[in-house]
Amino acid sequence: MAARSGSRPDESPPPLARADGVTKRYRRGSEPGRVARALGRSSPPKVTALEDVSIDIAQEEIVGLAGPSGSGKSTLLHLLAGLELPSEGTVTFQGTDLNTLSTRKRTRLRLEHVGIVFQHFHLLDSLSARGNVALPLVELGVPKKERRKRATELLERVGLEDRVTHRPGELSGGEQQRVAIARALVTDPTLVVADEPTGELDTETGTRVLEQFERVAEDRAVVLASHDQPTLEIADRVVRLRDGRIDEEATVRAPSRTDT
Amino acid sequence: MNPARWLLRTGRRLWAAGGLTVAQLRHHKLRLGLAVFGIVLAVLATTLLAGAGVGVLETGQAQFDAADRDLWVTAGETRITAAGGGGFENSLHNSREVAEEMAAHDGVAYTSPLSFETVYVATSLDADFRTFIATGVPNGGSVVNIDEGEDLRGDPHYANGTYEGEMTHEILLDRETARDLNVSIGDTLNVGGSLAAARENEFTVVGYSPTYEQMLGAPTVTIPLSELHQITSNTGTEPATFITITLEDDADVETVQAELQEAYPEYDIRTNSEQLEATLQEQVLVLAAASALIVLAVGAGIALTVALLGLVVYQQRQEFAALKAQGISASTLVVTVIGQGVIIGTLGGVIAVALTGPMVDLLNRLAAIVVGFDGLVQTAEPIYLGGLAIAIGIGTVAAAIAGWRVGRASPLEHL
Repeated sequence: MAARSGSRPDESPPPLARADGVTKRYRRGSEPGRVARALGRSSPPKVTALEDVSIDIAQEEIVGLAGPSGSGKSTLLHLLAGLELPSEGTVTFQGTDLNTLSTRKRTRLRLEHVGIVFQHFHLLDSLSARGNVALPLVELGVPKKERRKRATELLERVGLEDRVTHRPGELSGGEQQRVAIARALVTDPTLVVADEPTGELDTETGTRVLEQFERVAEDRAVVLASHDQPTLEIADRVVRLRDGRIDEEATVRAPSRTDT
Repeated sequence: MNPARWLLRTGRRLWAAGGLTVAQLRHHKLRLGLAVFGIVLAVLATTLLAGAGVGVLETGQAQFDAADRDLWVTAGETRITAAGGGGFENSLHNSREVAEEMAAHDGVAYTSPLSFETVYVATSLDADFRTFIATGVPNGGSVVNIDEGEDLRGDPHYANGTYEGEMTHEILLDRETARDLNVSIGDTLNVGGSLAAARENEFTVVGYSPTYEQMLGAPTVTIPLSELHQITSNTGTEPATFITITLEDDADVETVQAELQEAYPEYDIRTNSEQLEATLQEQVLVLAAASALIVLAVGAGIALTVALLGLVVYQQRQEFAALKAQGISASTLVVTVIGQGVIIGTLGGVIAVALTGPMVDLLNRLAAIVVGFDGLVQTAEPIYLGGLAIAIGIGTVAAAIAGWRVGRASPLEHL
């Protein structure tokens, strides 16, 4: 059996999120149906994306996940955000084992506590920047006036006060990613996960976006997966993954945003 | 949660989901337009084919009613034959004698044997002979309506069954046949049941009559009954397709029908509507084909609607997956997708229903030119409602299924 990798801080405050002995396997291809099974087709082989990984995410901590493509960064990010469940092991968020939650409850948990920033932004072309940012508040039943106010404030904080009514198609890549960051923060989540947040941006734009990301995400835990070294430099510690296991964990800087 | 507060929140969510639905549709105008166009085609295919079915029944009934006959006598099946240019099977023999006997019955004003035969027709001996349906009409009774020219002079050749009287050699054409043959009133045609008989018998066009073209839905020439029997060598058996009976004004149709049926059990004696029904029932293949077309049209309409809406939703899969990843609930996504289905279905349904009327007019004009039937395609309220039901109902159900699948799918499947 593979040795457990990763380490856990000894501090007494409970972690915001914790992955404990997590393994994640995926099937290659689809599961055969009854007829195909009757004809002798066996289940497709599985590929292990993560194996026996343990990691704690503390409140207000920025954790970078580094590693080459296929190392398991995105998978660990998805597990911590409750986007999927582990094949083995447990993921807890604020002490709740995500395995015990229904899909509906996990969706609600993401809405209330987790903000997600995608590499490809995934904004709705049909809505303005403000409409995109305000969308999660719709689900929370926030009145329209309040939704507009909060969305506008966040767009101002990421420097897009003059782009509030623009649609994604009218914005640059950097501006779209800043809209996506504002959208991730609009519900005031305790954890923000970002998967290759600068992957679609040039270096200069990426740096500016990260600076704003770091500023607006203060007082929250952030987990960002990237193989871009400058992106990882905003992290308090970087966890390197290789072949689905934690290869190395290093503190990049300490203390983090509290010293700024 | 307080129920009032829950209701307020749900209302806000529904309103916002509706707004998202409209925004998505408005932003992708080409996609919306194509989806609506597809629904319009699907619904039009359904309403027009169903309209054709209704039209066939109603036109048939109208033709029987317009024939001004009360009862129809047949012997056996009233079947359309495939031989030659087509026509009915003439299975009622000694029709003259039977018609005269029936004419003597109480309440009967007059009777007319009608015979349909395939004949060869040419504009001259050098021209190519073509086949047409010839209708043989007896002397007396308002058998044909004349558009232009004169009616047939009568049927003197019969001469009390001797077939030695003078042949009038007069012929009536429908206008389409006259145009087709490039002849007009006063021109002559060679007509016969065989090529040899056609070469020997020259008929003069005396007028135009649409009566039998409309009844049969095919180009038709009309000549005196005895002359038709003569040129088709049927004077011995005097076969007819029908004997039509017109009753006196005060006679009760059902009573006379029952009395005649009792007196002539070997024949089928039917009212107009019964005769139409019997004629249609015997066209099993035609009816089966028509029914299959309608079922296929409805099925294709449903399949196309489902496929189109599925495609519309599939194209938004990434956007919906991203929303779900951020915590937007499956129910909000389903409402958004259903909203799209309802809007696309309603737009498509309303446009299709609005276009059905003009399309029916266009088809009827074409049908009148090609086959001579007026009002072949007809619409009725249930057809409009059916079209709308397919567009909106199936659109909504299809969108609900697509939305349910979107709601169930893991967000990572499409990100």
